[in-house]
Amino acid sequence: MPGAVVAGGLARPLKLPPHLLAALVPVLVLFAALTIYCLIDLYRAESVRSIPKAAWAVIIIAVSWPIGPLAYLFFGRVRDQRRKESAPVAGVADNHAWAGADDARAGVADNHAWAGADEARAGVADNHAWAGADDARAGVAAYPAAVGAAGQPIVTTTGLTRDYGGTGLFDVGLSVPRGCVYGLVGPNGAGKTTLLSILSGVRRADHGTVSLGVGRERLSVCPDVPEFDGWLTAYEVVDLARVLVASRTPGQRGDAGPVVRDALGTAGLADSANRKVGGFSRGMIQRLGLACALVSDPELLILDEPTAALDPAGRAELLNLVAAMRGTRTVIFSSHILADVQRIADQVGILRDGKLLYQGGTGDLINTYLRPSWLLRIADDAAPVTAALRNQAWATRVEPAGAGAIRVDATSIEAGEQGIPVVVAACGARQVSCEPVAADLESAFLALTGTSAMEPR
Amino acid sequence: MSQIRPGRPMNLWRLEWLRLIRTPRALALGAIFIFLGLIEPVFAKYQSQILRHVGNGVRISFPPATPAAGISSYVSEINGIGVILIVVIAAGAFTFDAHHGVATFLRTRVGSIWQLVTPRFTVNALAGAGAYLLGALAAWYETDLLIGSVPAGEMLAGVLCACVYLAFAVAVTSAAASVVRGMVGTIGLTVVVLLLLPIADTLHAVQDWLPSTLASAPVDLLNGAHLSHYLPAFGVTVAASAALLAVAVARLGAREV
Repeated sequence: MPGAVVAGGLARPLKLPPHLLAALVPVLVLFAALTIYCLIDLYRAESVRSIPKAAWAVIIIAVSWPIGPLAYLFFGRVRDQRRKESAPVAGVADNHAWAGADDARAGVADNHAWAGADEARAGVADNHAWAGADDARAGVAAYPAAVGAAGQPIVTTTGLTRDYGGTGLFDVGLSVPRGCVYGLVGPNGAGKTTLLSILSGVRRADHGTVSLGVGRERLSVCPDVPEFDGWLTAYEVVDLARVLVASRTPGQRGDAGPVVRDALGTAGLADSANRKVGGFSRGMIQRLGLACALVSDPELLILDEPTAALDPAGRAELLNLVAAMRGTRTVIFSSHILADVQRIADQVGILRDGKLLYQGGTGDLINTYLRPSWLLRIADDAAPVTAALRNQAWATRVEPAGAGAIRVDATSIEAGEQGIPVVVAACGARQVSCEPVAADLESAFLALTGTSAMEPR
Repeated sequence: MSQIRPGRPMNLWRLEWLRLIRTPRALALGAIFIFLGLIEPVFAKYQSQILRHVGNGVRISFPPATPAAGISSYVSEINGIGVILIVVIAAGAFTFDAHHGVATFLRTRVGSIWQLVTPRFTVNALAGAGAYLLGALAAWYETDLLIGSVPAGEMLAGVLCACVYLAFAVAVTSAAASVVRGMVGTIGLTVVVLLLLPIADTLHAVQDWLPSTLASAPVDLLNGAHLSHYLPAFGVTVAASAALLAVAVARLGAREV
């Protein structure tokens, strides 16, 4: 019967006038279009959230329109996943080869320095304060300073304090030489992230000054947990990072493609450039954060726990990459993995409870805070040699270390190097070897801080 | 190695556009506004019959539907559901500080917070206006078909006023995002502010100056009101929106990550 339909839920047939039918046609078209769109999207999806795909299909079709389709779009759809027809990406997650050193950069740094908010109180001259919004956000007034020359610090802080009620940073005087890899180590709550955030300009200091030997546009930051909009591709994210910096840097507006591709390749994401970031693993996100930091070719690179989410191979690749930057750009990175710091950092700063306990050369730290120690191996019975060594004034500790082996600690390297051969010869023993016990950053850290071990992050 | 497809160059404007079209935001905006535009005039026309059938024969008499009633039904729904939807979508864009990694990515690269706020406000306001216009066109079509003709001049003027109000709602959202960091808090604060305005509307002295006056302009203009009546509210709304954006930029700029 034309013009008559049975309305669902109503007791009897509802006769609809022709005008109403014409009016309802667009509604039905909209209904059908959205429902079909959702069903196709559901079919193509590799997975959905919360409940099985079949349940979402029922909801899309059966739940009152438009609630069902919209519920699926907002709560059921897994954004940014690869579709069924998408070609699989080779070598998906973390099996990437990382490139080595970046190209050396030409040009002299912009010589800018920031001074702390209470600079006047600290008695630091400030005749050229910037009035930019960023500086206000960073809580630091800026002034040009002549620290751009090679060998001069690229980052200097004086009395830097940020008190969060007993925790934070206290009177930190950082000095980071230009072109070095500076490792910032310390246990949880030591203030590493706070310090890096203040250097980055996203947090303010209560007191003290921060002086940078480069303009902010030449500084890149990669946070410990990078986050990106999941519906962007990796290429788009890196391109956005490039554009934002390039808009502030004269001469950087060129062909984006090669630059972005290089950054992605360096970070080991060339194969995943066209993938949506929402489907990335934590390690890939970390690499993407590094690509974003590198794409603007920064002079100063700040990396907060860059290896935290990487597997051992990825960690080694990243460390190689950072190590290769030495001399071409300055890298400040924090880590709770002391072996990583020892491996690549030529300068190290140790933070504990917000205070900078040590900063200087990594080797100097190890040499300074470790007593000289050797592992002596004897071909014959080691007991006479052990007894003789214990009678030496320069020997601070002599302990058997297995069959024919003796651990000898001395008051100084010179005393041990001179005294051990003399004692062995005097005893008529045959020396197999005498190796210095490897000094490492962890031992130095423990000696310096008096802690038993680094706390897991 | 898969080949990299460069695509179009990125910038903060394209970022907001992609946020709309690569997520359900644009689809939800369009679908709900058009759906309400299509269905509300039908309800207005046939509310007596619908209630009689749903209510098992209970007869409730309504005066014959007028074209203004058809549009009014759409406008009243949009002032509730539609505005909340726009606020939710805008809040998703403005609460970039809710995610430390996103905030660090953006804040360490832009020269000014205006760079972040301007495209977010503009794109969301335009998206809301576009959705409102599509819904209004749908309501116009349905009303014209079922009830009677709607004067074009008054209708378009009313849509313009409503779009200015929606832009104001987006500006309120930006300011709210500078007060609270999270998305839920931003939505809640914005909705409370937008709900307080109609309450203030009851004060006769300020009635004509309030932004919420613009929300009902599409209906009032069809009922004989003159466009000049809305000029005070228009001016206040534009000025308030600009002020709210300035507040948002100042507060977001002062915020630490």
